[in-house]
Amino acid sequence: MISAVLDVIGGVLLFLGLTLMTISLYGVLRQRDTYHQLHAQGLATGPGVIAVLASSIGTENAAIITFAVLAISFVALTSPVSGHAIARATRRRRGRAER
Amino acid sequence: MPDAILFPALVWVTLLLVGGGLALVRARDVLQRVIAFDSLAALVIALLAMLSYLRDVGYYLDAAVALALLSFTATVAVARYLASGGPFG
Repeated sequence: MISAVLDVIGGVLLFLGLTLMTISLYGVLRQRDTYHQLHAQGLATGPGVIAVLASSIGTENAAIITFAVLAISFVALTSPVSGHAIARATRRRRGRAER
Repeated sequence: MPDAILFPALVWVTLLLVGGGLALVRARDVLQRVIAFDSLAALVIALLAMLSYLRDVGYYLDAAVALALLSFTATVAVARYLASGGPFG
């Protein structure tokens, strides 16, 4: 009973993560401006990866879930920082080009 | 998790990796290349996680965490380099 429920939750989270990654990749391929590409890419590196890693509860394996939680906390910490670094680099480069 | 869910998901992420390579080729700026590289790293992290669910071993997630660390370091280093003209400037 509980195993089937966890399977369903894991499958739904996996589907959600893959959908977010697909939307994000479409945005990166479609947009031409760097800021707009960054906006689309933040969806994959943040919520997309986190949803795929959170679907590890469907495996019911303690080692896998522990490492997935570690990876989720790491991604949640680093993804905004790297996005901010890219955005700042874009702004500095454009400022240098205008001068 | 049943294989019937995981196999199509693995195939789909592999197709998304091809799309990420296309984004890497189509980039017209260094920073757009960095963005495409970052999303490729996210896709490979998801691929390793799903491989770990498929084989029911935790070792692939070690590689996923290490890859997340490396891609974060590389992105921040390249962005700082491009922003200021030097890696420590």
